[in-house]
Amino acid sequence: ETYYKDVVEKHDEGLCKFAYWNGFVVGAACARVEDIPPEQQDKTSGDDTTISSPQKRIYIMTLGVLAAYRGRQIGTQLIQSIFDHYEANKENAEFKDVVEISLHVQISNDDAIKFYTTRFGFAQGEKVENYYRRIDPPHCYKLYKKLR
Amino acid sequence: LALYRNRILSEIPNNEKEALDHLNVCQKVVVDRTSLLMARAKYQYQLGQYSDAKETVLLLFQRGMIENYKLHSMYMCAILELEYQTLEEAMKLPGTRTLPTLVPLTDEQKQKILEAYKTEIYPDYGKSSAANRIPMNLVDGDRLRSTLDIFIRKGLVKGVPSLCLELSTFLLVEKDGKYVIATDPVDVKEHVAYKLILELVHGYLSSLESNNKLLPEDEFEEPPSTQLWTWYLLAGLHELAGEYSEGIALLDKCIDHTPTAVDVYELKARLLKSAGDIKTAVEVIDAGRDLDRQDRYINNQTTKYMLEAGMESEALNRISLFTKHEGNPEVNLFDMQCSWYELGLAACYANKKEWGKALKKYSAVVKHFDDFHEDQFDFHSYCVRKVTLRAYTDVLKFEDNLWGEDYYFTAAEGTIRVYLHLHDNPAITKEEEEPDYSKMTAAERKKAKAIARKKRAQAEKQAEKKKSEAKDSENGGQKNPPKKGDKVSPVEQDPDGTELLKKEPLEEAKKYSAILSKHCPTRLGTWVLQYDVSIRRKKPLLALQALLKMRGLDPTSAQYITRLVDFATKAPSFDATGAVKTVVTEETASLLGGKPVSDYVVDLGKQARQDPKTSLPLRAAIAEILVKTKSEEPGTAASIIVDGGIDGRGVDIESCREALTILKAFGKEASPSAEKWIATVNERFPLVKNFS
Repeated sequence: ETYYKDVVEKHDEGLCKFAYWNGFVVGAACARVEDIPPEQQDKTSGDDTTISSPQKRIYIMTLGVLAAYRGRQIGTQLIQSIFDHYEANKENAEFKDVVEISLHVQISNDDAIKFYTTRFGFAQGEKVENYYRRIDPPHCYKLYKKLR
Repeated sequence: LALYRNRILSEIPNNEKEALDHLNVCQKVVVDRTSLLMARAKYQYQLGQYSDAKETVLLLFQRGMIENYKLHSMYMCAILELEYQTLEEAMKLPGTRTLPTLVPLTDEQKQKILEAYKTEIYPDYGKSSAANRIPMNLVDGDRLRSTLDIFIRKGLVKGVPSLCLELSTFLLVEKDGKYVIATDPVDVKEHVAYKLILELVHGYLSSLESNNKLLPEDEFEEPPSTQLWTWYLLAGLHELAGEYSEGIALLDKCIDHTPTAVDVYELKARLLKSAGDIKTAVEVIDAGRDLDRQDRYINNQTTKYMLEAGMESEALNRISLFTKHEGNPEVNLFDMQCSWYELGLAACYANKKEWGKALKKYSAVVKHFDDFHEDQFDFHSYCVRKVTLRAYTDVLKFEDNLWGEDYYFTAAEGTIRVYLHLHDNPAITKEEEEPDYSKMTAAERKKAKAIARKKRAQAEKQAEKKKSEAKDSENGGQKNPPKKGDKVSPVEQDPDGTELLKKEPLEEAKKYSAILSKHCPTRLGTWVLQYDVSIRRKKPLLALQALLKMRGLDPTSAQYITRLVDFATKAPSFDATGAVKTVVTEETASLLGGKPVSDYVVDLGKQARQDPKTSLPLRAAIAEILVKTKSEEPGTAASIIVDGGIDGRGVDIESCREALTILKAFGKEASPSAEKWIATVNERFPLVKNFS
């Protein structure tokens, strides 16, 4: 729960939004720009000169829509808006080192996996064991999409 | 200025023709054409030129006043050629109410109006919401059903929170030849329109649940918000019928569906409060407030509920979220003349028996009204200079009736009640006084003095501590320490109201009661207070006057009947002579209908037993006076309350508590009845807390 409270505290307006319907909040999405740790960086593209600037990614922290309002493209619109924000600002200081967008999804969450892979062309990456502390199954997949 | 002259001309009795002609003369100079047309319509109406008045109203509609409900009333009155007095009353109706909601109209009259709307209004103003809403009050039966159906569905899809309130204006009951909106659950449940609305809404719900449409024949499916609003409307309808638990269950469904809908929390809190559980209500409404911290309205509501629950420090925290950042928030509220908060806080203190503080808050509201009164002097020179004379005379009229305003009444009533309580229980104010030293031995005297000294020292220490804490917190906020010679705000002087406690209770009570009697004569409460004050001051004539006024306003009121019997029983022991004595005896006899007191009371008891719908406060009052006048044994009298059951009028948590207090006061003989009553109430209001 503190994870979600923190999400509310720090924010970057283009990447964190509420979705409203008829005056109520019915959904929310939050993402942030973070450094990709060296061991995960993609060294295959380009020659193998030293990497000049650290690689970054957009990490989707949360995405949610109230149960009664699902199936109406609200989630899609939220994620699409994050993509649009990136496209509009990809040469700015904030985003110029971003090479991918990614998230973690619980292995049992087929709906979510389908949502990202079919609608937005994410690839399913490696499985991470025991990522979650309190839910079952505790493992997840990394889903990612290369942006440049 | 010209319109001002015109207004004066119209105020001379029977001068309407001249006023009307004057309008024609001055219309070239008048800029406020709307006011001119309205005045013209009014004079034409008063002169009986109904069709001319109607034409003028149509001109006003053309100017864009089509949504003005009062004008619609005038239009209808002109068509029906009704008396001017009816028009005046129709113009005072609030909200969406118009002529048909004021007086019953014949079918012929209704037809005439409907025709007029069809031919004159709809062709030009088909989209106007007023024009569509008003004729709904003119139709019955199937036509009413179909118009209500369209109206409700539109509101549900759009998501109108006030839909239930609007529908409640259809629940009209006749009283003395006029209509009033039914408020008692007994009247609501019986009403034809209510049953019709319930039927429609249940239909929508089942249709939504099976295939997500409001009507089975709808083409498109509804968005999920419609489901939410339909549940919300049904919960509101349950509220009107006093069915709190059912309403709360529906609202819980709403919260599961859309936990971010603030309106749902507000309604749920209101239902919980009416059902007798104020503490849970506070939790719910605070949760709703937390969803939208920018919403000042819900913050105010949360504060209000907290004050009612006796949580005044939390309430101060909440309301401070919206006051100025520096300084004491209570001082800021005083400067902003925030009367509702001060009245709520005063009531909270009174419930906690902190009389001084309660008096202090009531006096703050009284001070605001004094300020209002003083403000008018600013206007004298300004308005004359700016020649805004009509607005100026309006303000003066307002100032004349200032002491008749609701908030003033509440403040004065609160003050009087506290002082009367202090008068009846002088021990409260005497606590602080020095004990009587003359009657003690030397050793006892020394001991008593030592105790008093210690108490005083402790109190001073606490006061010092509080002061330094307050100074520290203020210094934390502002960099400079408070300068010497700072004005101490009236709020901070004497915060516990000790000065007010020292005043002579009956004198103060009399002062306020006199103001109320002069300016608030149409409220039953004014005369109740006058009676209570005069009887303690031993002024039988004033008390009698109060009784007569009460009977004129509402002869079936429980408060009137208890006081009448009280007066009649005390009358023989009054210290009255000559003319006073005669008047008292004669009038009392006539009020009692010529019967001796005990017969009067017993008759009332019989009546109450016969009519199961007798209001609960009345039944409780009758039981009380039966026992007081020793006309019946407590055990028998208690049956009026208990056997009458809980399905009559006037049943709510507060009246149930009053009834229980009365039953308990009857003593051991009535305890089986008291037990039965407790069980009955707990069954009817399962959520009530502390009812035993």
